[in-house]
Amino acid sequence: MPLVEKLLSAAMSRGAEFGEVYVERATTTAVSLDEGKVRSAQVGAVTGVGVRAIRGAQVGYAYSDDLDEAALLRTAQTAALIAEGNRDPGPVALSRTPLPTYYQVKQPLAGIDVARKIELVREADAAARAHDRRIRQVTAGYADQTREILVANTLGHLAEDRQDLCRLGVSCVAFGKGGERRTGFYGGGGRVDFRFFEDFSPAQVGREAARQAVATLGAVPAPAGPQTVVLAPGWSGILLHEAVGHGLEADFIRKGTSLFAGKLGDKVASELVTVIDDGTVAGGRGSLNVDDEGNPGERKVLIEKGVLKGYLYDHLNAKLTGQRSTGSGRRQSFRYAPMPRMTNTYLAPGDQAPEEILRGVRKGLYCRQFGGGQVDISNGNFVFEISEAYLIDEGEITRPVKGAMLIGVGPEALKNVSAVGSDASLDPGLGTCGKDGQSVPVGVGLPTVRIDNVTVGGTGA
Amino acid sequence: MEAQVTEQTRKDRGASLLEVCDQLVKLAKKAGASDSEAYAERTRESSVKVREGSVEELQQATSKGVGLRVFAAGRLGFAYGTDFSKDGLRGLAQSAVSLAKGAAKDPFNELPRGSQLGRGPEGGYDPAIEDIDPAWKLRAAHAAERAAGQVDRRVRKFDSTGAGDFLASSAIASSRGASGESRASYAYVYCSPVAEADGQLQTASWSDTRRRLSELQAPEEVGRIAAQRAARMLGARKVKTQKAAIIFEPQQAAGFLAGLSGAVNGDLVHKKSSFLAKLLGKRIASEQVTLVDDATLAGGLATRPFDGEGVLSQRTVVIDRGVLKNFLYDTYTARKAGARSTGNAARGWSSLPRIGTSNFVLDRGGASADEIVRGTKRGLLVTAMLGSGASAVTGEYSRGANGLWIEDGQIAHAVQEVTVSGSLLELLQAIDAVGNDLDLRSSTAAPTLRIAEAVISGS
Repeated sequence: MPLVEKLLSAAMSRGAEFGEVYVERATTTAVSLDEGKVRSAQVGAVTGVGVRAIRGAQVGYAYSDDLDEAALLRTAQTAALIAEGNRDPGPVALSRTPLPTYYQVKQPLAGIDVARKIELVREADAAARAHDRRIRQVTAGYADQTREILVANTLGHLAEDRQDLCRLGVSCVAFGKGGERRTGFYGGGGRVDFRFFEDFSPAQVGREAARQAVATLGAVPAPAGPQTVVLAPGWSGILLHEAVGHGLEADFIRKGTSLFAGKLGDKVASELVTVIDDGTVAGGRGSLNVDDEGNPGERKVLIEKGVLKGYLYDHLNAKLTGQRSTGSGRRQSFRYAPMPRMTNTYLAPGDQAPEEILRGVRKGLYCRQFGGGQVDISNGNFVFEISEAYLIDEGEITRPVKGAMLIGVGPEALKNVSAVGSDASLDPGLGTCGKDGQSVPVGVGLPTVRIDNVTVGGTGA
Repeated sequence: MEAQVTEQTRKDRGASLLEVCDQLVKLAKKAGASDSEAYAERTRESSVKVREGSVEELQQATSKGVGLRVFAAGRLGFAYGTDFSKDGLRGLAQSAVSLAKGAAKDPFNELPRGSQLGRGPEGGYDPAIEDIDPAWKLRAAHAAERAAGQVDRRVRKFDSTGAGDFLASSAIASSRGASGESRASYAYVYCSPVAEADGQLQTASWSDTRRRLSELQAPEEVGRIAAQRAARMLGARKVKTQKAAIIFEPQQAAGFLAGLSGAVNGDLVHKKSSFLAKLLGKRIASEQVTLVDDATLAGGLATRPFDGEGVLSQRTVVIDRGVLKNFLYDTYTARKAGARSTGNAARGWSSLPRIGTSNFVLDRGGASADEIVRGTKRGLLVTAMLGSGASAVTGEYSRGANGLWIEDGQIAHAVQEVTVSGSLLELLQAIDAVGNDLDLRSSTAAPTLRIAEAVISGS
């Protein structure tokens, strides 16, 4: 403990206004299965310390995985170099920030016998193969991390948290006639006890991955051009993540490089659209008792009935714009300075029955499973891939299509939301978000949603 | 392989990386491994970011780690960590061996040995980068930003501009005789400005990364190019859904190649899961296409004396004038598939080796980029893309695209919010122009490419 205080003093020794020490210890376990065999089991342990010094809008950052006092003091002095002066900052009195508990993983995942983890991938593989004989390739992976963090800063805050996270994933390839191959992917997890997989069974994960691959055999090319689309609930929430989420992160807002900058109070979406970023979802993959700057996780309404209500703030961008942190300061590890990020981002449910939404579409595309997405936060262009989609004909789901992708401009797409279902759902715990070279786990969610006039990328007529 | 220990690492630490690896191999044997291999890395990174004329961020750190792969009774175990103390290493060896018990026995679990091991040409290591003056990075970043600000009055905002350097040394040792160290140095400058007009924001970025400081593009040039790229996107709009020519600028052409790299991965091929699996020896692309993976390429960002398993670096022709010649392998997959490792084991200390490209480069053609544009009646010059978009399994390709519309060989207007789609095989065969503007600015590199026709989805 006294060492943390020494490091804070060293970070401030040249006149910085704010100093922060971040200590991380992460133990990762992973098992993988390929071609019906458990290929490997692995474990890694990484411990390190990151030190940040801030003066105005200027940040000094340094880190070390050498944990002896001399090396750590050198690290803090390196961060301190952002300021140019000499001063004795005096002692820092730290007091512990009381934390909520949004994820109660009783037994750290790192401590669970690896044999039980291996059993998960075996069961998932067997179920996928048994689902259909056209499933010829299955890869299954399980990974978990037990990450302990300590954040202390010169405002006197001290917070400690243990953030466990796990994920089981299965990929399948189905082989059809004439060399046709289709893929399926499913999985899930979160900040949950290992017992989670008693309900969210590996067999069910394997079957769902297999179902997707087989269901899309014989798919016709996706029609190209503007269409009405209906998005199935869950992982489709990546729409919000890309179309609005990133553009509401306060670093882009402060720099004026996001198309949502200066639009607070404006109507940016259909009034059916209420978007929430929520770090408090029980067991959620993106949930945070405390962010990587020591601020408690929060539930933030970003868009309410189509009106832009708020942005996602970390410490630095909040300070520079006279706002308060929304508990959105996150980092991949001690090797990175934090920045504003999403946690679990979802759309509040509407009141329409999902079947009714589908029935109302004469011609369109029903999107059931999704791949990854990306956004350009300046012009607002976003894409996301549709891994399982079907044509809609007179309100009925008909033929599967392949190679579909959606593209749009954030606010326009959200203004074209014309129906929101009552079936709100979060994704099963799969998402990882990348920004500026840093990856963090996130959740997304969406009820069944209808969007008109969306451009579908495809090759069909 | 000869051991090469940098003075830097000697000064910093008691043990060299190679000594750490040797020690781990001994400890693994003691813990019960029949074979083992340790791979360690030490890196130093230092970077600056500036914005609107002042320093935004200074970052500096050194970092290290080691990974240990063991085979015990034909089973694979792997453990990694950052603790190089004797106890730390012993713990690593014990956990790798104990983890192997859970994996399946696999007859193909073997380490490379004998004549497979070796040392090819060194990748670039520049002492000038090692000794780079922190003030140089600040000057470079400021110069890039200033130059960008003078290009066009509509370019006034910046996401970020920066410069930095990265040094890495790595070592490998195995119970089958792998033993070597290698070093790499990189310096980079980048600029991401935002242009604004009529309520539209358009961002672009330009960067240059080189292994020798003297080869780095002038920071002013990096800034100017970035600003020009942002400004020319203003007024971008959708075009109608149609079939038209697609011209990929070199960076986007490289992205297109990256989409292919998964399909020539020997693992996917062996599982018949690649759309190219059955096409070895067949014509898969236009005759203008020759593609190599070359870890020995002079000036390449990914040039290295040996791969992540200690296998001698080599040049592998993947596509020769349109004909698919070779797939890429590491040791394990090669044994499984009855092939030879092509020295394509990619590696970090925290992961098992897996197949990856080194310098994955498309040969240059004869035409200049200008000539290609001028010779295009109607099409899209793609300058930026969104999404990952290419499936190595199904061979389908669909990505979001930004760019410039070409009418009668002239740039007509900027384009956004469209996608480019097609089957990778059809697109490869439809390549009808390859530029002479190859520049090794990334490890996957290509000159300007034109595809005669693809589907553009828009309004």
